[in-house]
Amino acid sequence: MEAEAAKYIGAGIACLGMGGAGIGLGTIFGNYLAGALRNPSAADGQFGRLIFGFAVTEALGIFSLLIAFLILFA
Amino acid sequence: MANDPIHQFQIQKIFPIEVGGMDFSFTNSSLFMVLTVAATSAFLIFSTSGRGLVPTRVQSVSEMMYEFIAGTLRDATGTDGMRFFPLVFSLFMFVLVANLFGMFPYFFTITSHIIVTFALAMLVILTVIFYGFMRHGMKFLKLFIPSGVPGALIPLVTMIEVISFLSRPISLSVRLFANMLAGHITLKVFSGFVVSLSAMGALGIFGAILPLAMTVALTALEFLVAFLQAYVFAVLTCMYLNDAIHPSH
Amino acid sequence: MSSQNGGDEDQNGDAPEAGLSERRAQLDRMLDDRRVEEEKAARKSQSNSSGYAQAMKLSSEFIAGVLVGAGIGWVADQWLGTTPLGLIVFLLLGFAAGVLNVLRSAGVVEQPGAKGTSKEDVHKNRPD
Repeated sequence: MEAEAAKYIGAGIACLGMGGAGIGLGTIFGNYLAGALRNPSAADGQFGRLIFGFAVTEALGIFSLLIAFLILFA
Repeated sequence: MANDPIHQFQIQKIFPIEVGGMDFSFTNSSLFMVLTVAATSAFLIFSTSGRGLVPTRVQSVSEMMYEFIAGTLRDATGTDGMRFFPLVFSLFMFVLVANLFGMFPYFFTITSHIIVTFALAMLVILTVIFYGFMRHGMKFLKLFIPSGVPGALIPLVTMIEVISFLSRPISLSVRLFANMLAGHITLKVFSGFVVSLSAMGALGIFGAILPLAMTVALTALEFLVAFLQAYVFAVLTCMYLNDAIHPSH
Repeated sequence: MSSQNGGDEDQNGDAPEAGLSERRAQLDRMLDDRRVEEEKAARKSQSNSSGYAQAMKLSSEFIAGVLVGAGIGWVADQWLGTTPLGLIVFLLLGFAAGVLNVLRSAGVVEQPGAKGTSKEDVHKNRPD
């Protein structure tokens, strides 16, 4: 196998990590929605924490995207 | 191939023009831009030519559009921003009419090309930058430095603010482009189902009712999206202009 | 409406001044009530129809931040030959900018230059 081909395969595999971030985001937003439906009056107050959870989770996804970019371009 | 969902976005040269090795051809995209501008100006000039104190139906439509954009702009930027009204109104009308033109069968949707929407977004952002520097000089750069930040963090926060500012034309153009492209491809795919199903005999025609209903529903949704995206474009333009007029509140 | 008004006038014809002001106050109250209701309805319909638009807006804001960060990092690498540092640093900065964009368009953080609140959030949300 050529090195170039291995590079693209590696980038593809690295992007699998974003799937994990996607699952995590689904959990976060789903649980937020479930909680918000149970107690709508408290929903607005927790929006900041929702975004915090989103950011921390998505950061891990971004790391795998970063690895993919590094493999591809660097 | 007639069923190809991408075929409708292809650019065809109508009058090939070449100046100094550069391609300035008059394409179907240019044709529809001209048509959009012509239709908009013709409508506005025709509808307001009566200048009746009691507006006729057409006149009240154009007055409604005027009031709508004027209200949006005034809410976002205050009376100071009304000098940008011609820009915002032209952008809104251009995007709206271009989106609506795209809804006609066999018409070309110019806003489904990212270069067009990106040019519009760059127009807005460059206006913001030029006007901001013209009016506030170097104080305009305060936009990138939030007040009350500890000294050690200033470079980091400034960097983030600059990237956030630079990402505006991208998000502005990508949003409009992606909405129009995705909408038209979905429409084409579903109407393609109708054609290919009804070619399969009596059962196929019966089965084609479902995608046909879907196509009708999607068309209605697309009209909503066409208006909504033009509105979002205008609102965000107002918000960005507000930064140029009042960089630090 | 006008016929009803006429009827009212006939009834309190003996004290027209008091009746008029009373009626005006009543009309004002009715109008206020209706206006509030109309506004509420308008707001509700707006939020319903633009949920999809808002989702598109937020996600494109976030993606634009990340893309611009990655683009700047890549260009900086090409020019300065700092491969791969520029890409790493600017992609993470771009991520922070994307989160800031989302917070801003969701209305949690104020527009640039407003207050010190934005800095706290940015700091908190920094991935590294």
